[in-house]
Amino acid sequence: MENGEKNFNVRGNEKLIGSSDTAIRGVLALLKDNVDQSMQKPMIVLGHGDPTSFSGFRTTQVAEEAVIEALKSAQYNCYAPTVGLLSARGAVAEYLSRDLPYKLSSTNVHITSGCAHAIEIILMVLARPGANILLPKPGFPYYDARAEFSEIEIRHYDLISDRGWEINLDQVEALADDNTAAMVVINPGNPCGSVYSYQHLEQVAMTAQLLGIPIIADEVYDHLTFGSNPFVPMGVFASLAPVFTLGSISKRWLAPGWRLGWLAICDPARNFQGNTIDDCIKGCFNIVSGPPTFIQGAIPQILENTREEFFSDINAKLKECAGIAYSKIQEIPWLTCPLKPEGSMFLMVRLNLGMFEDVADDMDFCLKLAREEALILLPGFVMGMKNWLRITFAAELSALQDGIGRIKSFCVRHSLAAAH
Amino acid sequence: MENGSVKWKVKGKQQLNSASAVTVRAVRDAIMSKVSPTDERPIIPLGHGDPSHFPSFRTTCTAEEAIVDAVRSAKFHCYSSSVGILPARRAVAEYLSKDLPYRLSPDDVYMTIGCTQAIEIMLAVLSNPGANVLLPRPGYPYYEARAAFEHLEVRHFDLLPEKGWEVDLDSVEAIADENTVAMFIVNPGNPCGCVYTYEHLEKVAKLAKKLGIMVMADEVYDHLTFGNTPFVPMGVFGTIVPVVTVGSISKRWIVPGWRIGWLVTNDPKGILRKSGIIDCIVGYLNVSADPVTFVQGALPQILEKTKEDFFSKINGVMKEAANICYDRFKEIPYIDCPYKPEGSMFVMVKINLSLLEDIDNDMDFCLKVAKEESVIILPGCAVGMSNWLRITFAIEPSSLEDGLARIKAFCERHSKMQ
Repeated sequence: MENGEKNFNVRGNEKLIGSSDTAIRGVLALLKDNVDQSMQKPMIVLGHGDPTSFSGFRTTQVAEEAVIEALKSAQYNCYAPTVGLLSARGAVAEYLSRDLPYKLSSTNVHITSGCAHAIEIILMVLARPGANILLPKPGFPYYDARAEFSEIEIRHYDLISDRGWEINLDQVEALADDNTAAMVVINPGNPCGSVYSYQHLEQVAMTAQLLGIPIIADEVYDHLTFGSNPFVPMGVFASLAPVFTLGSISKRWLAPGWRLGWLAICDPARNFQGNTIDDCIKGCFNIVSGPPTFIQGAIPQILENTREEFFSDINAKLKECAGIAYSKIQEIPWLTCPLKPEGSMFLMVRLNLGMFEDVADDMDFCLKLAREEALILLPGFVMGMKNWLRITFAAELSALQDGIGRIKSFCVRHSLAAAH
Repeated sequence: MENGSVKWKVKGKQQLNSASAVTVRAVRDAIMSKVSPTDERPIIPLGHGDPSHFPSFRTTCTAEEAIVDAVRSAKFHCYSSSVGILPARRAVAEYLSKDLPYRLSPDDVYMTIGCTQAIEIMLAVLSNPGANVLLPRPGYPYYEARAAFEHLEVRHFDLLPEKGWEVDLDSVEAIADENTVAMFIVNPGNPCGCVYTYEHLEKVAKLAKKLGIMVMADEVYDHLTFGNTPFVPMGVFGTIVPVVTVGSISKRWIVPGWRIGWLVTNDPKGILRKSGIIDCIVGYLNVSADPVTFVQGALPQILEKTKEDFFSKINGVMKEAANICYDRFKEIPYIDCPYKPEGSMFVMVKINLSLLEDIDNDMDFCLKVAKEESVIILPGCAVGMSNWLRITFAIEPSSLEDGLARIKAFCERHSKMQ
């Protein structure tokens, strides 16, 4: 810098630095960097909720063609209304209403850039000064990141591993106070693979009603169930407690890259009447960016014309994968899986660290596994459960079996017994 | 709800309402609502920034085909990485480098959901307690709306209508202080339709350097120029001062609904990296929504294969429309157009209120002309200049003629000189 020149007064918003160190993407990137590039084995990633790299998990042509048709019509190159194209909102309202005892209207639905964006928006809206939010543990760390970003205090409630990962409602009651803005419920569950029963969801709604707080129901894995519990949307209980339903086509249609989601307000008892929530949501949409208009334009066709076979095929694949993953993991004594998954794409396993010679914790396990076996799993601390692992079973069967085989080899190699 | 039951403890964040009220969309919606339902004539929209509905402004089939190919390849149904997929970033780096004296790397490029999100990111990244940023007036009110949301103080410098809407460099110096972190320019200009010369942009760069602040250049209307001044990207001066450029394909390809844009750091000296700004940008991207992966996937084809004659055709229509606008306003004594637009889609004109009966101000003008003539215009107060109007000329030339004739009729009807 020459004499007399000013230093550039450029400083970034400190809140943003490191805001994502514990986020899923950051940790997966770190693990991938640790893979030994010289190894012959192909890398297997069982760490994320995106099976589209496997050929058995391609979206339906109905959806692809719907998007192409909308694009070619040249009717959708324009800006969409900020809360979403009316036809898309109506179609989503219709789609969600199929499983509800009342009808949602298009005005109850807002279109977002994926479910992640819906999370961003609802937290922005609820972030009044001093607010706190109840999040599940283990949970989905994007909620924590966005709550922190919006300066909402986070309070975690436990999911009970030996009760099918059900919500500890006593704890929820103890944590809530006058500043609690909402509780988040993820069902079907990420990361646990649980699908809550009707009874449990009803109890959750009754608890929320008692506490006077709405429920943010993250249903991005809606209908991706293959066990004994059917999917029941939280909106079924919205007359007890208002529900913000978050969802998208990312998982059920295997198109996470299409960034098409929704935020629906389920409030048949009109508990929000006279409330400013709706205006705040609209205000929020006025200052953010929405999904491409032509994808919104394709939504009615996508939601209405996708054939049932597509869904049942995918669920059958997931069921098979979940079953195989669970039974193979049962043969690995170094891991304990408390719940055979019934939905979503994941299961949680506990590391029995005492059985290992030289594995310090979950991140250490995952780093070494990445290096030695070119296998990527997500360490549980990212979801709030240290010394657990989240394993994605939504993968090509051969890759899944190969991957779990590699876990077993790794465990054997690092076993305490092996040291003797 | 039964008696005595729980009060719902749900309150929204109040500032979201006020932040959004000042956007162009909000003002335009208010004006649109005045249009008389009994007027059978077509509404003439002169208040938007989106001509995609008009046949003369249809995008090139090269772009459409690129998207179709990307969707059908099934290679882009997956999540993107938070900075954007490499082929898209590389393509944008190459595209922008064509007009720069140095090469951008893909690492300098971040993919965003339209230019809108790029603006969102920069304002979030610059927001620190006590910091302030310098915005042009007249300007683009989304900046103010987002800055308000981020609690970032804004200070306005003037653009000078008598000097082709150039930046009043003295006013910039006067309002900058030790807490100023950046100045923002929009070139080609929204709302003024100006295109800054190389010399003027160099002066801006040197002033920013003197003040120790970075320049944020909104170039969403890049290459949409049809006058004598060619488009010069601010990044050309990246060795003088760190420049962050935001842009997209929304305007040049007339596809604002595709929601794909970029934020690019033009910083060959690495000042932004050293300052930690890059980490902040990446940090923000890691916790925000991404643009659609297959649209990113289509970008290389769009940027590389679009033929020059598509661009010249669009610029040709704009030039014709700009000329019509300027010529007709010369015939309307009630409205003064000081500068013939050379770029973007807009022109600023001043209302001679003294010649009009019962029109209080620009908002009043716009509400009444919407009601009586079904013409939609954006009042200057929405962009920081009361008693001016922002006119969009990017519509079918025949509709533009119709609209301008209706404005003339309106003025004559409300004339004091009866």
